[in-house]
Amino acid sequence: MIGSILLTLALVAGLASTIMYFLSFRGQENTLKVARISYHAMAILVIVAATLFLQAIITHQYQYKYIYEYSGSGLSLGLLISTFYAGQEGSFFLWTFFTVVIGLLLQQYASRRGDLEPRVMSVYTLAASFLLMMVSPMLKNPFAYIWAEPNFIAASNINPAILNMPFMQSFFFTDGNSGQAFIKMSSELYTTLQKSGIAINDFIVQGKGLNPLLQNFWMQIHPPILFMGFALSTVPFAFAMSALMKNEYKDWIRQAFPWVLAGSMVLGLAIMLGGYWAYGVLGWGGYWGWDPVENSSLVPWLIGVASIHTMLVQRKSLARHETDGIGEFARTNLVLCIMTYVLVLYSTFLTRSGILGDASVHAFTDPGRSVYVFLVILILSFTILGIGMMIYRWRYLSKQVEAYKNLLNRELALFTGSVALIASAVIVIVGTSAPLFKTSVETKFYNDMNLPIAILIGVLNGLSLLVKWRFTEGKEVIRKSIFSVAASFVLTALMALVGGVHGLMMIILTFSSAFALFANAEVAYKIMRGNKMALGAYVAHIGIAVFLLGVVGSSVASGQKQVELPKGEPRQAFGYTLTFKGYHPVDDGQKFGFDIEVRKGNVRKVVSPVMFFSQYNNGLMREPDIISEFSKDFYVSPVNFDDGSQQSKGSQLTLNKGEAAQFEGAKITFSGFNFPKDAMNTMMSGGDFQVGARVAVEYNGKSFQTEPLMKAVSGQKEFVPVEVKDANIRIQMEGMDASGKVNLVVTKLDGKAAAMSGPKEVLSIEASVKPFINLVWTGVLVMVLGFIVSVVRRSKESLA
Amino acid sequence: MKNKYIFGGAIIVVFLGVMIYLFTQTNVQYEADFAKIQSKARTFKATGTWVREKNYEVNKEERTFSFYMKDQSGREMKVILAGTMPNNFESAQSVVATGKYKDGCFYATDLLTKCPSKYEGKPQISSGM
Repeated sequence: MIGSILLTLALVAGLASTIMYFLSFRGQENTLKVARISYHAMAILVIVAATLFLQAIITHQYQYKYIYEYSGSGLSLGLLISTFYAGQEGSFFLWTFFTVVIGLLLQQYASRRGDLEPRVMSVYTLAASFLLMMVSPMLKNPFAYIWAEPNFIAASNINPAILNMPFMQSFFFTDGNSGQAFIKMSSELYTTLQKSGIAINDFIVQGKGLNPLLQNFWMQIHPPILFMGFALSTVPFAFAMSALMKNEYKDWIRQAFPWVLAGSMVLGLAIMLGGYWAYGVLGWGGYWGWDPVENSSLVPWLIGVASIHTMLVQRKSLARHETDGIGEFARTNLVLCIMTYVLVLYSTFLTRSGILGDASVHAFTDPGRSVYVFLVILILSFTILGIGMMIYRWRYLSKQVEAYKNLLNRELALFTGSVALIASAVIVIVGTSAPLFKTSVETKFYNDMNLPIAILIGVLNGLSLLVKWRFTEGKEVIRKSIFSVAASFVLTALMALVGGVHGLMMIILTFSSAFALFANAEVAYKIMRGNKMALGAYVAHIGIAVFLLGVVGSSVASGQKQVELPKGEPRQAFGYTLTFKGYHPVDDGQKFGFDIEVRKGNVRKVVSPVMFFSQYNNGLMREPDIISEFSKDFYVSPVNFDDGSQQSKGSQLTLNKGEAAQFEGAKITFSGFNFPKDAMNTMMSGGDFQVGARVAVEYNGKSFQTEPLMKAVSGQKEFVPVEVKDANIRIQMEGMDASGKVNLVVTKLDGKAAAMSGPKEVLSIEASVKPFINLVWTGVLVMVLGFIVSVVRRSKESLA
Repeated sequence: MKNKYIFGGAIIVVFLGVMIYLFTQTNVQYEADFAKIQSKARTFKATGTWVREKNYEVNKEERTFSFYMKDQSGREMKVILAGTMPNNFESAQSVVATGKYKDGCFYATDLLTKCPSKYEGKPQISSGM
């Protein structure tokens, strides 16, 4: 109860703060102080509520529906904490929390910069208030009680001592399919329990638990960083709006700049961590699958990075004080900063409205009508607010804008870079939004469209350093680029001849990324001796170049190979010798690590991919293991483990007349029933009869005609199987249906033979080689480092 | 000034043109009616449920995974996935298979499983006790 009250009060304080800040901006006296107090009150309420929620999770307070649904007893502390954001309500709450906390920093920052605070904070607090509405008791309240709405709880999660009490009878239900028993939790049951003096927490003793896919280290860091990035993307929006409110477009660029950089840095890092999670733990086999959820965080990042480049141009043109105008790209910058936040909201809508239900591995399902409507209101409000203000000021803005004159200058290179990033964002939005129209695109769409853009980005990344602000002589550019172009030729030739990069576009991309790398490295080397703070941009660009080279390298077809590893017997794959040694329990025996010795020359390593059966989703879970070398990763994904004790169950086939099926390399064709003339009559009269199924087996170029039988002897059905030794199979008829289909059971013959010679444990794995994938991670981390340097530098400058 | 807009406009037109072309080339429709899938020789995202009674088959030599899938009207179709069985296939509430129908089978290149427990699912309660 207290949590819901805190969040409701926080919402009230947030709305009060928004209004007070707005009045303060309009010149109303004595409002700024009230606005500040309200903001801090909201922040304190949210922080206290979050602390309470965390404490409730750690102490397993299953009276909260959310904690019952997503948490469970027996999770480690780290994982318990991560259940905070495992579901819709909690992740909105985390987003709200970061928004509010970052707002405290923003308020400090803004209060020291003239009349900025009322404007920027009124917009920012409005955004925070909207999020608070989302977690308020009206919508996705994390503190909702489990009995608030009737809810079925598995009887196994209930205290057995109470379960057997007589009054419980009327709350029992059984699932018709699985026979599982459930308790209907409702306010009625709650009152009954209260009357008997039973605390709800003694009644429900276990939660549903955390999805095993989320039970790993990355769950503990990826989502918080992502939501921090989302929260930071609110800041550029607030700055752009504050400029439009005052109709003054010079200061905001300098003031918002470090925030835009910080937001891009955090979001970029979050996206990479998500990619690594998918690659290293979830076993997607790659770092990027163009999954809608991944895409929807990439789009705001691309737009944010685009805005950095055009904001830089406006800064420069303002710094020159050539005219009284507001500098170049003033309108572009406003629109991009507004769009960064609007796109965060759009991505939230896509992934949380249930609209991507079928399209994504990890989108949420339908959250309910009211949430859907609220999400639509949320996007529309901020879109209309942002675009409306732009239209309102458009005429004024158009008069102030300066046009640039020359073709070969850094302004144009930066602008083109932004355009390339925006184009890439448009591609990703279009592809990701396809499910709205009941369709989708193959990943080829993203790859083919983005490839030329990546090439352009590589070229501009290097070229923009070689051209000067305002104007550059063509000759000078050529002179300066000699080193990088020459070095890029060498590297590209190496990648193509030794690294196996092929395809014209990929070779061009290699060249353009290499050019970006060398051009930036050359400049960075020169700067090293001077102002180290100016290194940020070059380091970030080196990161992007390295990342692109990693993309090229890892795209080189490496192939996958499924390998069967009988225990103790070495097998070959991609030049490695693999020997399955046995398995050992991990995580207190809940999971099993399968140890495989990997040998190459004299180097010997052990990988232990993990498999375990999960009660949670009633299935086998698999986690890959990786050997990272400098130039490549050797990626081992477990597929199946056969402990040899069971024969293969065989497979069931249902075939129409003339239909064929494959089994273990044999082609099995059903050509029809052999139905003796009198069979029908005897069948009707209940006498003995037999029916045969004409089945042809083709194996290794040989074909065999067989006829498994179904007999009825004194009312008892009997099935007579056939064995085809040369094809190593046994076929048994299992039944026939009225429509003329036959049901067959096909088993391998040597399943039995193997069992007789003693059980043999066999591990199946999928092995693959991922060249240069390390460059992908390294590239992003280097880029993040560059961003950090830039944030520090631009924060200092923003006070000037 | 005028040239700038003509140039920019031309680039945008070319970009959109290429994008629309590629979109139509790579676009894959969701289809919950298997009759439609079986009548056309193009790629679909077939949505339906796994026919649990008919089990599934893992073919290690051919590296395929096959099972039967049925649509809302109960029409069944054999699905052969080039690859291995996805995680938690057994508990999948519904599956989305991407591929083409050919010679009586749906050849899938990608399989997505939707699991009830991963989301805010509710058990289907059929009878009281």
